[in-house]
Amino acid sequence: MTVPPDTLLDPGPAADPAAGPGKGRGARRPVLRYALAKIGGAALSIGMVIVATFFLFRLIPGDPAIAYTRDVPLSPEQLDLLRRQMGLDKPLTQQFLDFVTRTLRLDLGTSYEYKRPVTELIADRVGPTLVLVGTGLVIAVSLGLWQGTRAAWNHGSRFDRFSTGLSLVLWSVPTFWLGLLLLMVFAAGVGPIPGIFPTRGMEDVDAPGGPMYLLHVAHHLVLPCLTLVAVVYAQYLLVMRSSLLDEIGQDYVTTARAKGLRDDEVRRRHAVPNALLPTVTLVFIHIGFVVGGAVSVETVYSWPGLGLLFYEAIKGPDFAVMQGTFMVVCTAVIVMNTLADVAYHVLDPRVRSA
Amino acid sequence: MSVTRTRRRAAFSRFRREYRRQRAGLYGAAILVAAVVLALLTPLITDPAGMDVTKATGAKMSPPSLDFPMGTDESGRSVLLMVLWGSRVSLLIGFMSALLSMTIGTVMGIAAGHFRGWASAVLMRITDWFLVLPSLVLALVLAAILGGGTSTIILAIGVTSWASTARLIRAQTLSVEARPYIERSRALGAGHWHIMTRHVLPNVAPLVLANTTLQVASAIVAESTLAFLGADSGSVSWGGMLRGSYDWGAATSGAWWYVLAPGLCIVAVVMAFTLCGRALEAVLNPRLRGASR
Amino acid sequence: MTRMGARLAALGLTLLLAILPATQALAGKAPEPGTQALARQAPEPGKKTVRLGVTQAVDSMNPFLAVRIISSSIHRWMYGFLTVPDPKTLQPSPDLAESWETSDDKLTWTFKIRANAKWSDGKPVTAQDAAWTFNTVMTVDAAKQANGPAVENFESVTATDDRTLVIKTRKPQASMLENPIPIVPKHVWEAVGDIGKFENDTSPAVGAGPFIVAEYKKDTYVKLKANPGYWRGAPKIDELHVLFYENPEAANAGLKKGEIDLIGRLAAPQFEALAGDPNIVQWNTQGRRAVYLQLNHGAQTIDNKPVGDGHPALKDPKVRQAIHYAIDKKALADQVQSGLAVPADGSIVPPMYQEFFWKAEGDDLVTHDIAKANEILDEAGYKKGADGVRTTPDGKRKLEMRFSIHTDTPVEDKIAQFLTGWFKEIGIPLSTRKLDANKFTEETGFTGLFDIAISGWSVNPDPEEVLATHLCSRRPTASGEGGGTESFYCDPEYEKLYQEQLSELDRPKRAEIIKLMQKRLYTDAPVIAVYYPNNLEGYRKDRITSITPIPEDKGILYGGSGYWPFYSLDAVAAPAGSTGGGSGTGLAVGVAVAVVLVGAGGFLLVRRRRSVADERE
Repeated sequence: MTVPPDTLLDPGPAADPAAGPGKGRGARRPVLRYALAKIGGAALSIGMVIVATFFLFRLIPGDPAIAYTRDVPLSPEQLDLLRRQMGLDKPLTQQFLDFVTRTLRLDLGTSYEYKRPVTELIADRVGPTLVLVGTGLVIAVSLGLWQGTRAAWNHGSRFDRFSTGLSLVLWSVPTFWLGLLLLMVFAAGVGPIPGIFPTRGMEDVDAPGGPMYLLHVAHHLVLPCLTLVAVVYAQYLLVMRSSLLDEIGQDYVTTARAKGLRDDEVRRRHAVPNALLPTVTLVFIHIGFVVGGAVSVETVYSWPGLGLLFYEAIKGPDFAVMQGTFMVVCTAVIVMNTLADVAYHVLDPRVRSA
Repeated sequence: MSVTRTRRRAAFSRFRREYRRQRAGLYGAAILVAAVVLALLTPLITDPAGMDVTKATGAKMSPPSLDFPMGTDESGRSVLLMVLWGSRVSLLIGFMSALLSMTIGTVMGIAAGHFRGWASAVLMRITDWFLVLPSLVLALVLAAILGGGTSTIILAIGVTSWASTARLIRAQTLSVEARPYIERSRALGAGHWHIMTRHVLPNVAPLVLANTTLQVASAIVAESTLAFLGADSGSVSWGGMLRGSYDWGAATSGAWWYVLAPGLCIVAVVMAFTLCGRALEAVLNPRLRGASR
Repeated sequence: MTRMGARLAALGLTLLLAILPATQALAGKAPEPGTQALARQAPEPGKKTVRLGVTQAVDSMNPFLAVRIISSSIHRWMYGFLTVPDPKTLQPSPDLAESWETSDDKLTWTFKIRANAKWSDGKPVTAQDAAWTFNTVMTVDAAKQANGPAVENFESVTATDDRTLVIKTRKPQASMLENPIPIVPKHVWEAVGDIGKFENDTSPAVGAGPFIVAEYKKDTYVKLKANPGYWRGAPKIDELHVLFYENPEAANAGLKKGEIDLIGRLAAPQFEALAGDPNIVQWNTQGRRAVYLQLNHGAQTIDNKPVGDGHPALKDPKVRQAIHYAIDKKALADQVQSGLAVPADGSIVPPMYQEFFWKAEGDDLVTHDIAKANEILDEAGYKKGADGVRTTPDGKRKLEMRFSIHTDTPVEDKIAQFLTGWFKEIGIPLSTRKLDANKFTEETGFTGLFDIAISGWSVNPDPEEVLATHLCSRRPTASGEGGGTESFYCDPEYEKLYQEQLSELDRPKRAEIIKLMQKRLYTDAPVIAVYYPNNLEGYRKDRITSITPIPEDKGILYGGSGYWPFYSLDAVAAPAGSTGGGSGTGLAVGVAVAVVLVGAGGFLLVRRRRSVADERE
């Protein structure tokens, strides 16, 4: 998993004066206009994904028609027909326009391997990935922000050094390797440690129905989720810690303390809310990295989600599925990012009125 | 000219003094120097013939012993020897892709910060786009389309990881260009190129250095992840070794040395780069100097 | 904890609790009525279940489309065939067809469909079902995906009455009785519409095999139940679960731990890792696969035009022979396959098929001998330069060659590492090219852009198909179409032998001709067989009490032809009160995890109040 180094560097709002609604800067714009601008930007980004996908996947050497038929020998006439069906005889601009219209109609082509519409394949696998990434993200953010806050407020303490050290180690660990180690220890069992977690997938045959089903899935979810959380929560912790340290250095904190406000009050009312803004912004920007981590995790734990579909498509290679998954994942990340951005803007009154 | 030199020398010795106060950074630097020196010395102190499977002398997957301090792999090769030779590839990929990423990031960042209007807007839109996209997924697609090989991996990692740098550099550029002497220089008729290379670049360089260090760390992790997911460089690297231990069932057959050795090397070196990067950042970024000692 | 933080933590927990129920909806599992849900948790005692672990996901449940081994295996258990290999001899024996006869010109086959076979919905299996199935493959392009070549030679297929099926072929077809097409119920499939788009994943699917698919969850599992109305009698076990693993190491761990009972098609390292477990049987048998090298000896299209960029030196049989001598097949079998393979002293038919296997002996036999290889090359005029690299006799081109393998295949990668080592000693530097499956097929089968390439073939009980892959007619057209060649081979002698065996219906005589063909391939070396990997499997003997491999004498359990192993499976019955698969403890742990999560949330909230006291500086 590629973690952006900037999460370990300066995350403060001062690093980028133009990065959205910074502390008190450019935040007076009405919510609606802000939202519209953001949504417009997202639409543009999605458009760029579609364009990039088209040209990226046209770079593949070889004849797509032959790739599609695989080893089944076809006559030249049949191949010509297939090429026409795939629109390969048309000029590039026409192919591009067709591609865009098809994509906008959610027609992502047909899988070489499964001989089924890519859209259907993806739809089948969205659920498990949402469960994994959603749970992982919620835990990682809660844990990271809480631990980061504590570490910063008592910076230099044993807790701080432990938290920072641990997160630096976890940040350096390749996701798949950690996953394999956890699998070997806690699912297979090593020595006296019993393998109490399942070795595969999201559910077993004859999973119980009703509320017990949730526990059944939760049981399967523990290790994959732990792996994902371990690797991504480190950056949240570090970012929260350094943003809060920034705030502590600010004059207003000193002033507030001097006014005789309780330490806890200062932290809760002033420092943390201010430090949260850059942190949460970064959390949103880096949703893509969590999704990238999901590819490794799903592969190690045979989790039947989009990441696994993508990995299988690369192994195939099944370019239609690769292309479709790529577009869907990128679009989802852009949409989530925008939604979160706007929602935060609406929810946090400070951003608007500061 | 001598004035500048003296000033630079003074700045450098101040930097050294400050850096020495960063204990974690010193540990990191020590590990790094050791790793780089070992990687450079490997061809001198070891015999590459040991990497040839037809000449391997050990038993298959034998545990650590005097002859093989880190045990052997599935073909009876010394894991220690492979770790040493693998460090060269992993570090090479790390450095080269960080260099590529830094070059793109710095150019984009300075340009986006220096120019105004639509040029800046377009550059920032592209940067934001790359920032938000899942870079691992993009790198995998690139590697799959371009085929394997060391240069492909470097390209795939470099091209997908520059966006955060560009943002950082842009911010720094904006603050540098707000300084009065740039205004003066512009009034004196300095062109874009002059301002960007003579004034902005030297000022953002320290930040670039710190960021590059961190970028190398994440590139090494990315290399191993790509190798695990099937996009390998074709030569023995740490990521490739981890993939090998997975392919040849080292974990289920209890060959812990084969699973742990390359993995711990990655963790150690990546940590070292990270610590160095953070220390550099703390020293070079005045804003942080006050806060996070 | 701050208010903001607490709000966030609370929000997190709420989200978590909201996501989990969503799992249910997203996973497509409708909440069930209480009684049924309870019934599912506790299987009735005495039920026999076998869980098979596979490292390949089902590509399609539609037998006209599926090409993966896992899918065709499941179809073998779901559907009937005209004939099935006999478990002892592997020779064709009756399945849905109880008897058959051929006309004197060997072009018309008449099959009698048995009267006692029923579809799982109770309707009788008739000749019309078989005729509809074959005609669909013959006429609908989309349906050719899985088994198109099997009907290539068919002229017509008709059902003259409910019990009689008549197949007319264009040319005599010796492999008629090994037809791989599962017969589907006409009354169900007629209504399907577009066969190419039909998924066939609604359960239970109507079939006439020993098992019925009861539930299919993509990328997760397939649950099969014994077919009580199966004409041979229901299988001994009640349920067969097929569980999908992406990670082979996890699958191995699952077997050791008892989450699954059987895995087939293991890689050598995983197989070795099972050693020493008292509850696990390591099942090691001869495999049906041959692994060989394909040498680009001057690739040509079907109209004899040169194609590709193969190294010119490979046209020289002497060079091919020298390369053959440089390969240490025993070392490859030992090192790459952990000794769990037979070094190939033969050609493309593995020794598992004793009837057709040809073994090199005497002067024909090529052994690992670097000195001899060097000697052959020296004599043929390929001089070694100062850098140790040989050049062609005319001095124009160095003997630098490429070795094409697939990406993501550790075994091929390892073979490449060994070949590189040996070839260096005979003055031929080898560089490895890793290609994805599409590009590999294109370059080694159509465009000829390779020097040496890895290849392999899983040979059916009848070797006709693998023999045909080395025919002139299998070479591609000039525009890079058609084909299916495994070597670009085109040899008059080989062609003549092929035609002879095709119409030779006397089995021993045909076997002799087939051996001659392999000898030709071995000595002329357009392909060099390396080894025949064993079929490696493992199962838990504390769960599976009996299983009959195919063939019965040291045969394969999973992935072989026919349904015998899984039809004959017997297992330990679930003891009363067990919930099967340890899901009882699993649930307990699940509960514990949930409690911990909720507890952590609560802790965070409580913390917030306490923090006032103990965190003041």
